[in-house]
Amino acid sequence: MRPYTDSVVVTKTVRAVVPFVLTFGLFTLLHGTSSVGGGFQGGVVLGAAVVTLAFGFGLDRTWEVLDKGLLTGLAVSGVVVFGAVAFAGLALGGSFLRLDAFPVPKSTVYATELVEVGIGFTVAGVVVVLFFELAGGTDGEGERGGNRGGERR
Amino acid sequence: MTVAASATAPLVVALLVLVVAVAVLTALFRDVLAAVVVFAAYSLGLAILWVVYRAPDVALTEAAVGAGVTTSLFLVAIRRTVRPTGERTLSLRVRPRSVLAAGLVGALLLSTVPALPAVGDPTAPAFGPVPEFYLTDAPERGIANAVTAVLVVYRGFDTFGEVVVVFAAAVAVLVATHREVL
Repeated sequence: MRPYTDSVVVTKTVRAVVPFVLTFGLFTLLHGTSSVGGGFQGGVVLGAAVVTLAFGFGLDRTWEVLDKGLLTGLAVSGVVVFGAVAFAGLALGGSFLRLDAFPVPKSTVYATELVEVGIGFTVAGVVVVLFFELAGGTDGEGERGGNRGGERR
Repeated sequence: MTVAASATAPLVVALLVLVVAVAVLTALFRDVLAAVVVFAAYSLGLAILWVVYRAPDVALTEAAVGAGVTTSLFLVAIRRTVRPTGERTLSLRVRPRSVLAAGLVGALLLSTVPALPAVGDPTAPAFGPVPEFYLTDAPERGIANAVTAVLVVYRGFDTFGEVVVVFAAAVAVLVATHREVL
């Protein structure tokens, strides 16, 4: 397989673009209630930034740098956070998914933003996992074989 | 509204021509890599079209998912394929049956269009009391982006399910690749 990093242009471009993409992704993720964006959009942009890194620096190097525990945590967080917020509404005397039941000012806004951040983390984590699993996937003999669980940091 | 519509009309026509052209090219390219790249251009054209139609949330998703992530997934998938040699990259030879099938499906979908309410029809469901409530209630709660408000506040069940589906996609891929631990 031809290495991905044979072009200086690609590496330099990725190096220059990724910080801006990450910043834009975080902005989109955190400003979902006040401007265009939200969890799904911001999360996809964040995940795409990591995918871009893989195109610039090679799949294996990027995968080695990624913290697998963090990735798993990200993928799970959306479901956990959304569930927690949903049941918290129930516990605080409201009903399931009642977002204005929290005893804080602008309860709906903060609950929504919490949920959005969770959604974004899940989407980002899942996009990265999908990409690297499809890339590394099922080739048992290749350079990124089946025992990737063992090379965790 | 009509002034703005007439000002963007050439842009819309150009974008629609581009989208249809790259869609046809995607089908005609024999080289898979070229088809993937042209398909990314198709998504990009659609994304710009959504911006013109003032749906920036959809445009952002289309650009990131359609043009970005899907293309990269296709690219890592075709790493496993072999490039055919000696064949032309672009071939106009298509099976008549394929054209017929595509035309039939297209005609079937287009036949449902007259059932849609006309653009700007005041009796359309989009102008009913429920969207009216969303648009007045969301700013009162402090959420300026109505799309986010509908997704999380009013349609929370749907969105909760969606997040679980996204999570399940990762789980499914891990199960399919026989790797329960990352």
